[in-house]
Amino acid sequence: MPVRVVESSAPSQVSGANSGETLPQVCSLLSVGQAFSGTQNVSSLQKDEAWRVNVRIQGCDLEHGYLCGTMEALNVPMADTPVVTFWEGEIIDTKNYTFFTGKWEATQEDDIRHWTKFPSFRPYLSRVEVDGGKSLDLSDSEHIYMRWKEQYFVNVGTDCGLTIAGFYYVCFSCSDGYISGFYYDPNSSPFQKLELKSTNEGRSGFSFSSYELQ
Amino acid sequence: MPTSATASSSYRRATPDLLVRLGSTDTEVKLRALREVKNQIIGNRTKKLSFLKLGAVPAVADALAQAQAQAQAQDQAELLVQSAAVLGSFACGFDAGVRAVLDAGAFPNLINLLSYPDEKVVDAGARSLRMIYQSKLAPKYDFLKEKSLGFLLSLLNSKNETVTGLGASIIIHSCETVAEQNALCHPGVLKKLNSLLEGSSSQKDASLESLATIIKNNPEAASKFVSECGRALSSVIDLTKDRYPRTRLLACICLIVIRNTSPCYLQDIGIKTKLVHLLLELLDDPGQLGEDSPFALSSLIAQKEDLQRLAFEANAIDKLYNHLQKDSLHPRRFQGILLVLADLCSKLESCRSRFLSLEMLDLVTHALTHDNADVRAAACICLKSVSRSIKTLSAGRFMNEMIVTQLVQLLHDPSTSVQVAALGAVSNIVVDFATHKSLIVKCGGLKVLVQLSKSMDATLRLNALWALKNLMFLADNVCKEGILLELTIPLLSSLICDPEPSVQEQALALVRNLVDGCINSVEYVFAEDGILLDAIGRQLRSASKAEIGIQGMYVLGNIASGNEFHKEAVMHQLLPQVNDGDRSFILKFLQNNDSQLRTAAIWTIINLTFPSSPGASSRVVKLRNADIVSQLKTMAKDPCVDVQLRVRTALGQL
Repeated sequence: MPVRVVESSAPSQVSGANSGETLPQVCSLLSVGQAFSGTQNVSSLQKDEAWRVNVRIQGCDLEHGYLCGTMEALNVPMADTPVVTFWEGEIIDTKNYTFFTGKWEATQEDDIRHWTKFPSFRPYLSRVEVDGGKSLDLSDSEHIYMRWKEQYFVNVGTDCGLTIAGFYYVCFSCSDGYISGFYYDPNSSPFQKLELKSTNEGRSGFSFSSYELQ
Repeated sequence: MPTSATASSSYRRATPDLLVRLGSTDTEVKLRALREVKNQIIGNRTKKLSFLKLGAVPAVADALAQAQAQAQAQDQAELLVQSAAVLGSFACGFDAGVRAVLDAGAFPNLINLLSYPDEKVVDAGARSLRMIYQSKLAPKYDFLKEKSLGFLLSLLNSKNETVTGLGASIIIHSCETVAEQNALCHPGVLKKLNSLLEGSSSQKDASLESLATIIKNNPEAASKFVSECGRALSSVIDLTKDRYPRTRLLACICLIVIRNTSPCYLQDIGIKTKLVHLLLELLDDPGQLGEDSPFALSSLIAQKEDLQRLAFEANAIDKLYNHLQKDSLHPRRFQGILLVLADLCSKLESCRSRFLSLEMLDLVTHALTHDNADVRAAACICLKSVSRSIKTLSAGRFMNEMIVTQLVQLLHDPSTSVQVAALGAVSNIVVDFATHKSLIVKCGGLKVLVQLSKSMDATLRLNALWALKNLMFLADNVCKEGILLELTIPLLSSLICDPEPSVQEQALALVRNLVDGCINSVEYVFAEDGILLDAIGRQLRSASKAEIGIQGMYVLGNIASGNEFHKEAVMHQLLPQVNDGDRSFILKFLQNNDSQLRTAAIWTIINLTFPSSPGASSRVVKLRNADIVSQLKTMAKDPCVDVQLRVRTALGQL
């Protein structure tokens, strides 16, 4: 298993100087309790392979550009049970985080290479190349860009033969809850694609739960 | 013990004689008696109580009154000084003594002493009155009465330090309302207090405390002090470097009061950092200052992420941890430290991780069983803050038998504030994403939560329902069934219609979670003749605030994501058959200023007209006839992107 990258304090974090000017994006489909399911393509040169993946949002703090939840990989070959990991997300709101990752072994070139895979990102490219998109106002955007980083295995030990060293570049569509993402880990196959759709768990419609921390 | 028995009996024999001597007409005899009482009671609570029971206070008060009556005739100065000193000694740090002095009618006589020409008499009177004003029982001084400010100013302007100190004590004790604060913002008072900041050590302390009292939560007073008193703020800042730690602490408290009252002052990072460091340093004081400083630190950092970060960078968590390691912590110090930890962990994940990595969770869990109710409440508040970490909640770290059992115990605590604090911690811990929700049921927590949801105390009802709502979040069917069995549908229906709007909101949010998840759970709202659904409809028709509408509409939306029967039942709530001329509440919600309420209302429409459902087209007709479709069309350019997108989806289905 590759060595896990030690987290330093987030260099991509924007200082509070311009904070409060843009409102964080609110999207009811990206709220706590919402579930998504789909696949992650883990194909390599040797073989084509895709794992079924379920995601559940557990926490959302738009003020701090924070999102978290669990990711469950279902048909992992070397595991007897589905493998659940806990991940934390950085929302690119240009207030807390920009498009430049600045950690996790991702260079600005890696960032641009991944973000440009999302068609909705293209109009921002030129300004992102300058400064990571610090001056962009994304509050009216129909897409929410994020980085998801798995933090720990929930139901298996670290000796399960799997790695969570990398992270995901994620694009979320606010209109239908479609999530696309690319896994980035310099030591894994490049551009593993994650595709998830909002699930309605057997209902004919959308259901929303909620909790509040005191 | 033989020794104390002898002492006690000789004391009893001597006392009646002492009382006689206090009433003697011979000045010398009386003076000796007064000195004797003074020497015996000084700093001795037990003796004070014994003399009190034997009626010594009225005797001394009489001695003072007689000496005043005869003062014109002969020199009674020493009698006045001694009797005032004895009364002050009775009152010092002893509420029963204060009560006895006041009951004996000595207060006005002590005030009279302040206008005597003899400086020693004035000093003794002022000293005695200061003792009285340190107690809550002291009579409240009315600053709003005519001429009262003149008297106060005469005290503050006195050359006698004890008298100026008395003026400050009166302010600290009696200034409570904004009107009183405004009256004290008189230039004479503020200027004098400002000048006392450069006086003796006791004057500095008295002035700092008075200023904090006058300014607290009164921005106008803060601005007057800062703008009208020259370099007032700098003087207070300078005193944070004073050689006496008490003065340093009072200067910190005064600055914190100014900053919390008017955040525009003291924004400089240097002073913020300095305050944090000073208060952490004062925590090391083994006495009163060490007990007071955590409360000051808590008021400095509470709700302020930037200051919490500064405190974290100043290694506050580790320092507090070191203090918690000490044996036999004084309860007040223990409470204060726990409250600072609670503030530190309320927002920053970095603080929570440090807290957990130091294994402080065990220390705090242990404090849940402390004898002192304030410590128990503070431990709960600390646990509540730490359990705001979703990362740790998700790992199921808080849902262990040790923590849960003790928190459930505290739900029965005789102190309401402990119960409320425990409910706060339980509310967070039961969110538990790691499917250990059943532990709270196993430990008897569910039963108590349901009992508390029936409490006469609205705060307890609110917090108990809050915990039940969070317990219901993503709960499995067994857990949901268990909660509902205990709570019962009639009770839940009555809570939806509780007199308190905040309780209504929590009850609706609980039902929202109940009908989420497995589609079968929608059936719960139709049980027992659908009284739950009727209660929800009734509440939505009369919703007093947006939050109630939001939760209620999400309940209807979740029901509408079910089968045809469910969808039709929601339609019936939205568009009742009886046409009473009223517009449907959903129209009002679609026009509401709260974007979350508009969003919730549109989700209900989306679910009712969901393309794959067979009755969608007939429902579209009904919604069109009720003007709901035309309303949606006007919302295509809603200022909220989320609303715009939902409107687009809804219109696409209509």
